[in-house]
Formats: sequence, structure tokens, C-alpha cells
Amino acid sequence: MFDIILRNLSQRKVRTALTIFGIGLGIFAVIVMGSMSENFNKTFETSFALTADKIRVFGSSGVFGGSVTTSKAAEVRKVPGVHDAYGLLMAPLEEGGGMSFGGNQVIGLPPEKSQTILGPVQVKEGRDLMRGDRYVTVIGSSIATQYDIGVGDRIEIQDKYFTVVGELEYTGSFFDASAAIPLDIAQDVYEMGNMVSMIFAIPEEGVDGDLLAKRIKLSVDGVDTLSPSELEEEAKQGLMIFSVITVSAAVLAAIIGGLSVMNTMLMSVMERTKEFGILKAMGAERRDILLMTVGEAAIMGFLGGLLGLACGWVAVFGINLWLAEKGIVLFLITPRLVAVAMLFAILLGTLSGIYPALRATGMSPMEALRYE
Amino acid sequence: MNDAEPDIILQTRNLKETYMQGKVPIHALQGVDLEVRRGELVSIVGPSGSGKSTLLSIIGMLEIPTEGSVFIDGIEVTGVKAKEIPRLRREKIGFVFQHFNLLPALTALGNVEIAMRFARVHKKERIKRAREVLTEMGLGDRLNHKPSELSGGEQQRVSIARALANRPAIILADEPTGEVDTKTRDLIIGILRRLSDGGQTVIIVTHDPWVSERTDRVITLVDGKVEKS
Repeated sequence: MFDIILRNLSQRKVRTALTIFGIGLGIFAVIVMGSMSENFNKTFETSFALTADKIRVFGSSGVFGGSVTTSKAAEVRKVPGVHDAYGLLMAPLEEGGGMSFGGNQVIGLPPEKSQTILGPVQVKEGRDLMRGDRYVTVIGSSIATQYDIGVGDRIEIQDKYFTVVGELEYTGSFFDASAAIPLDIAQDVYEMGNMVSMIFAIPEEGVDGDLLAKRIKLSVDGVDTLSPSELEEEAKQGLMIFSVITVSAAVLAAIIGGLSVMNTMLMSVMERTKEFGILKAMGAERRDILLMTVGEAAIMGFLGGLLGLACGWVAVFGINLWLAEKGIVLFLITPRLVAVAMLFAILLGTLSGIYPALRATGMSPMEALRYE
Repeated sequence: MNDAEPDIILQTRNLKETYMQGKVPIHALQGVDLEVRRGELVSIVGPSGSGKSTLLSIIGMLEIPTEGSVFIDGIEVTGVKAKEIPRLRREKIGFVFQHFNLLPALTALGNVEIAMRFARVHKKERIKRAREVLTEMGLGDRLNHKPSELSGGEQQRVSIARALANRPAIILADEPTGEVDTKTRDLIIGILRRLSDGGQTVIIVTHDPWVSERTDRVITLVDGKVEKS
């Protein structure tokens, strides 16, 4: 039956090619948008994994919004079950820049805690921050690429020059776009007094993070906490909304491709009305006709999927290559994305072929034979 | 099973077919009773609108009669489930159409071979059988030609080969010589005659007295009834 399907498709080359192109365009959108979403997901997952053991403590005026003072860190440290606690100041590196995905940021941290905070990330070149450091910085790999700087070079932060003493390895996390500087210097250059963006609280070994987060909130006045699991949940919700927006735009494009398959198949079925009549007169069963028509649609879906995947891969690879000069990775094609896109393409083709196929099988053979 | 004689391959009982043309009921068949013996070459004649093609469609299981029964090879085909019909059609009937109705994208071999696909015949066997019947029709050197590359007579012979592919009980030929010249007509009827002599039952619907004169028996239909058999 496969040879008949291919023969039918090759009979109408231009129409088949246009339909495959339509599906391909949709799957191209799925791949590009999907790989962007996959990259953000991976960045989040890696970032989360690197700081998974820490409880975030904020000022109670609002999650992510309220600042706390450095002195609160000492109060948090006294809470039973807390191994250590210290303040962090996070600010955009470039003036007017945001701290969203892709934006570079400065992390002000106590230099003696540098090992704990950046611990899971290996220093590729140079060293960590140390007690007594002042206008020095340890930079992430993206910043190194983007600014084309390395150990010994200088970078301007808030009109002050910082010497790069260390460069971190690439992690695929927010650390790549971060420049770590001593906390007191960060508070100074950003004119934040003794304020910090948040306090990282590290639980003692064997202490449950969620319970400790609640204990900190109850024990220290004016703070709010985010346990690792709460943070993960909140961030995942945000990512899901992003994924839904990007993927639905892509799915819409692919559905339009699916409609073109349906249109093609309806035309093809109508043109072949007589042929189906002849086949039925020869004893073709419902499933033969169904397989023939749905098979054609599924193959167009499959080929469209392959085309979309190939073009998407080329586009994503090209853009990533171009952005690599700026130290940014925007897309990530994962096996999961490839599988979903291909499955979606085939399913779309098949589903679009079902209605025309039912029309074909539903014809009376006599009427079909009389059809001119 | 019916109670017909063992050599009766086709029997119709009180076959009626009524369809609506707008709001007017058209009685295409009004109680047709006929019997055809195994190996017989029968022609069905009659004026236009007498019900010849309708009768052929019902015998070929392309249409379901309003009333009455059709027995083929002892099976009441009008009483079987709808999903059984394609199988019965494959096993019992081979069609030859006036306009040949070959699939234009397929070669002569492909057109004959495709008929056996639906009977789930193995590919090797299909090709062997298709070559065999096409050679029998004198088309051994035209196997790989498409219909557009064949003459009318050759196309009709491919059509006969296709009808024979599944070794059906009956060949139903609807005006098989309507589209060919007299020389080809002689050839086609000669082939159908030869098949009948070899034991194949053939029923031809025709307008052409020259054709009907060369059949074993002529069934005349007038206004949906058998006038002479």
C-alpha cells in the first residue's frame, strides 16, 4: 500500500510540495519557539540546581520586591537549624538593563562566602573572591565573551573599574551572565547603604528546607521566605506561562499547516472520486481506502515535520552561533522537543486526513463510478 | 443456500429497485427473476432506461435493491452484512466497464495487479498472475505501458484481464464494446466467447445487436421487467 501512497503523492508534485512546505513552516515555528522555551527551562533548572539548598529571605514588603538590611542576616543566622546566612545584592550590570533572562547582572556577595555561593561552579581561570577584595570581580562565561575580557582585564560597573580576577566555566545558568563583586563595594556603587536584595540561608545538614523557611519567617521580624520548593514552584509557573505563550503561537502556525493538508486531501479525494469507485468495484475495503488517504496525509505530515525540523535546526544553529559572539545562548533543541515536534507533525497530518478519508470511504461505489 | 440447480451460478428473485428523482419515484426494476448457468455467455438488452445498468449494479453488489434477492454461487449476497460485501465482490464479480476505467497512473501490469491487492494476495503471486492474464489477452509485450499509451482495444483487454485477476464467478461487462471500433469489437467479443467456452460465466449489457447475437442467450428488459429470456 505504501507504494500506492507514494505514487499518489508524486502524481501531484507541486501540490504535495506546497502542502509539505505549509506543515514544514508550522513545525519550523514549533522548533524555534520550542527551543527558546527549552533553553529558558534548562537555564532555570540549572540555576535552580546550583542554588537548590538555599532558602531565600526577603523583606516582607513583597516577594522579590522588598529589600532587607545586612544586619538581618545575623538574625537569620541565629535561627535554629540555619547553618549560615548572608546577604546578596543583585543589580543590573548595564545601566537601564533588566535582570531578566539574557540580561547581565552584578551579584554583590560577601567575598569570604564566594566559595559557598559560587561553589558548584568551577572557576575556569583565576580565582574566587577573597576576604579583603575590593574593586575586583569574578565574571561568568557570557560576560567574558560579550565584553571580550579575561583575567587581568577591567570592566566598568557604575562608573567604577573592576579588575577581573576570575572567570567561571559555562554552566547554562544565570551565573554565566553574572559578575560577582564584594557586597560592600556593590552597596557602595549602587548607593544601597546596607540594603541587600535577599539573604541566602543555608540549612544545617538534615534540616528540612520548607520547615526551616517557616521557622525563619516566624523568628525574624519583617521578613518573608521562599523555600527551595516554593521557589521552584513559583518559577515553574512563570516558565509555564512563557512556554504556553510561545508554544501556542507555534502550534497555531502548525494547525494552519494542518488545514492546508486537509484542503489538499479534500481536493485530491474529490478528484479521485471515480478512482475510489473503481477500487471499490474491485473489492477494496473501507480500511484500504482509509489507509490510502490517511497514509498520504500522514506522510505529508512526516515530510513536513522533517523539513520544519531541518530548517528550524539550521535557523537555531545560525542564530545561536551569531549570538555566541555576544555571549548569549537563546535556543536549545532537545531530543524531547524533536520527538514532540515530529509526533505533532505526523498527528496533525493524520488528523487532517481523517475527514477527507471518511468522505472517500463514505461514497457509494456506483455514484463514484458515475462521477465525471 | 438457495434451492437452485447446482449449475445455476446467478439467480435473482423478484428484484425491485425504486429511487427518487426529485419527488418522483422511478421504478427502475419491477420484479426481475432470472437465472444464469455456470459458463453461460448472456447478454442483457433493452432500450435506454429499461433498467439494464441498474440490474448489473445490483448483481455486482454496487447497489442494494429495494426489494428481492440475488444469489451468486449459492450465497444470498443481498442478505449479507455490509462489511462482507467487498470480499464477496472480489471473489464473485469481475467488472468490465464501457469506459475501461483503468487507473491512469498505473501500467497495464499495475492495473491488473492492484485488483489482487485487496484480496491480500502475495506480491510475487500477484505479479505472476497479472502477467499470465495479460499474456492470455495478447498483451504480453504491453505490460509496462500506461493506459494513455494503449489503444482502446488494448485498454479494454487490460480491463478484462483485471476482471479475471481474482478468478471471479461472474464477469459483468457494461457495454464493453461501446467505445471501440468494429475490428476491436470482434476481438473483445471473441475473448469473452473464449472465456465462456472455458467455463467462465459472462453477462454483457449491450445496445449492439451484433454483440447480443453472438451470446448464448439474450435477456430483454423493458420498463424494468424481463420481457424475454
